[in-house]
Amino acid sequence: MEKTLAKKSFPQWIKKLGSWSVYIPRKDKEGRWNYVEADGGEVGLEVLQTTLPPKKILFPQREVFLEFAMTPAGGRETLEVKEVLPDVKPTVIIGARPCEARAAWLLDKVFGGEFRDVYYWKRRDQTSLVGFACTTPPSENCFCTSVEGSPHSEEGLDLLLTDLGDKYYVQSLSPKGEKLISAAKDLFEEPKPEVKKQVKAAHAESEKKIKRQLKDARPIAEKLKGMFGSPLWDEESMSCLRCGICTYLCPSCHCFDINDEIENSSPLRGQRVRTWDTCQFPDFTMHSSGHNPRPDKAARLRQRLLHKFQYFVQVYDKFMCVGCGRCITLCPVGIDIIKVLDKVRENGA
Amino acid sequence: MEPNVYTPQLAKIVQTKDEVVGARAIKTFRAEFVNSARFDYRCGQCAMLSVFGKGEAMISISSSPLIKEYMQFSILRTGRVTAALHDLEAGDFIGVRGPYGNGFPIDEWRGKNLVFIGGGIGLAPLWSVVQTALLRRNEFGTLSLIYGARTAKDIVFKDDLADLKSQMPVHLSIDVAEPEWNEFVGFVPTNVLEKKPSPANAIAITCGPPIMIKFVIKNLKDLKFEDEQIYTTVENKMKCGIGKCGRCNIGFHYVCKDGPVYSWAELKKLPQEY
Repeated sequence: MEKTLAKKSFPQWIKKLGSWSVYIPRKDKEGRWNYVEADGGEVGLEVLQTTLPPKKILFPQREVFLEFAMTPAGGRETLEVKEVLPDVKPTVIIGARPCEARAAWLLDKVFGGEFRDVYYWKRRDQTSLVGFACTTPPSENCFCTSVEGSPHSEEGLDLLLTDLGDKYYVQSLSPKGEKLISAAKDLFEEPKPEVKKQVKAAHAESEKKIKRQLKDARPIAEKLKGMFGSPLWDEESMSCLRCGICTYLCPSCHCFDINDEIENSSPLRGQRVRTWDTCQFPDFTMHSSGHNPRPDKAARLRQRLLHKFQYFVQVYDKFMCVGCGRCITLCPVGIDIIKVLDKVRENGA
Repeated sequence: MEPNVYTPQLAKIVQTKDEVVGARAIKTFRAEFVNSARFDYRCGQCAMLSVFGKGEAMISISSSPLIKEYMQFSILRTGRVTAALHDLEAGDFIGVRGPYGNGFPIDEWRGKNLVFIGGGIGLAPLWSVVQTALLRRNEFGTLSLIYGARTAKDIVFKDDLADLKSQMPVHLSIDVAEPEWNEFVGFVPTNVLEKKPSPANAIAITCGPPIMIKFVIKNLKDLKFEDEQIYTTVENKMKCGIGKCGRCNIGFHYVCKDGPVYSWAELKKLPQEY
């Protein structure tokens, strides 16, 4: 289904989604863009790139799996364990970048399969993604077109909106998308015949504006298979501070930890929680014996790049990188995934 | 309701046994599910055990899947969760989820001679296969066990090993000589060379510390075992058990899901990240 929506009607449309949780990008006091739950305030659609991707809405940084407690019963303590599941109402993320939706589409593969992750899917099934084609690249380090995405890619999105000056061109990509349109049917118009041409031109133009490029990503994925023992990882990881920013702010990184948190030790009461974790921390893979299969920064940088550009390709035939450029822009020491992979292409085995 | 892969079932510890005491303590637990919850598993599969308030640890199931009444785990006291497990006694509750991993392909080994080679706590995952092979005795050729520990005190399943000697050749070893010790003195890989198991129609299954496995495989190769005739298990730090949390991978394999059992033919193709 294709429609147009006048820009002046946009706030009304959001208002009509009254019963939904609506997430929008908003600038905080420190000047960082972030997704927050809309409270009737302004929707900041001029946003370029949020610091944290909307991943946190589908896969929160901390979530409770279960609660446990020892309760005295009949003179003897008994253990009670209660599963905790998220109670999610219909949610819509407005303003997702196509790359961020594509990342959700990759996370669907990770959290699906033989062992479905019920925490993720409880949220995912209830969440619709409304994306905006990037008519201007949201970051100087965008390189989505190098990793099989584009500034107007559709994977993971329910609606794709393209800015046409005074109106948006609205493409519905799923039944969820159609539901969002029908929530405010009167605001949407049938597109005029010439609009399609305009959209095509805008999309073509948007691709040309992307400045950074990773050439030959597929051949690089092949080349990486022979580079496990390369000295490159040592050289490129030398400046790494092990802060983990590259992974915490990545829209497709999904590594996590599971731990028990105690509120009271006697009688025992606490929660089992899942939290984000990162392959960039030394204790991520450390055995209790002290042995660590990824003992140094080189091994951990290699894991980050190989997971995204080799292992995920081997298993799912997709890159686990959507080219948003956050890990480049936000790395405090300037480690640049494109430059590292350029070296793989040029000097690799 | 959709099953929740992260929710453990409650199980009651019905029996414990101190196998080894002291610094490298090993304790064996038998546990029964409460609420008639149970799962079927294969030899070599693992279970994620919970001590509520301490966390979870992935432990290999050492009982045979043919025994339905209980599950057995033999656990080395080494980290936070295993230390908490060691503090538990019969009547205490643990959480169990799983089973996880591929397990040993024992049905493919019908008609073969099985050579078990273990070191230290590595006998625990082998024990499930040893017990199963004995319960299905007529399906396999000859059976034998080569097992070693650092000292006589560190040997697990001492009583069971004495019984086992009536059913298959058992070759024990300790690293350094002790006055009362009448069997081999030296490392397990050396004992393998000494006992010279025949590769003819054989499968060698080895579990133990990584350094032992490395030299056992080298020595089996010297004895003309083919890569496809050698099986081992890999262990890495695990949290989810289902290939999602991202830490136990070696190359594109998640040990929790695609392992922990590998033939040497498969394992040697993967990067050495374990």
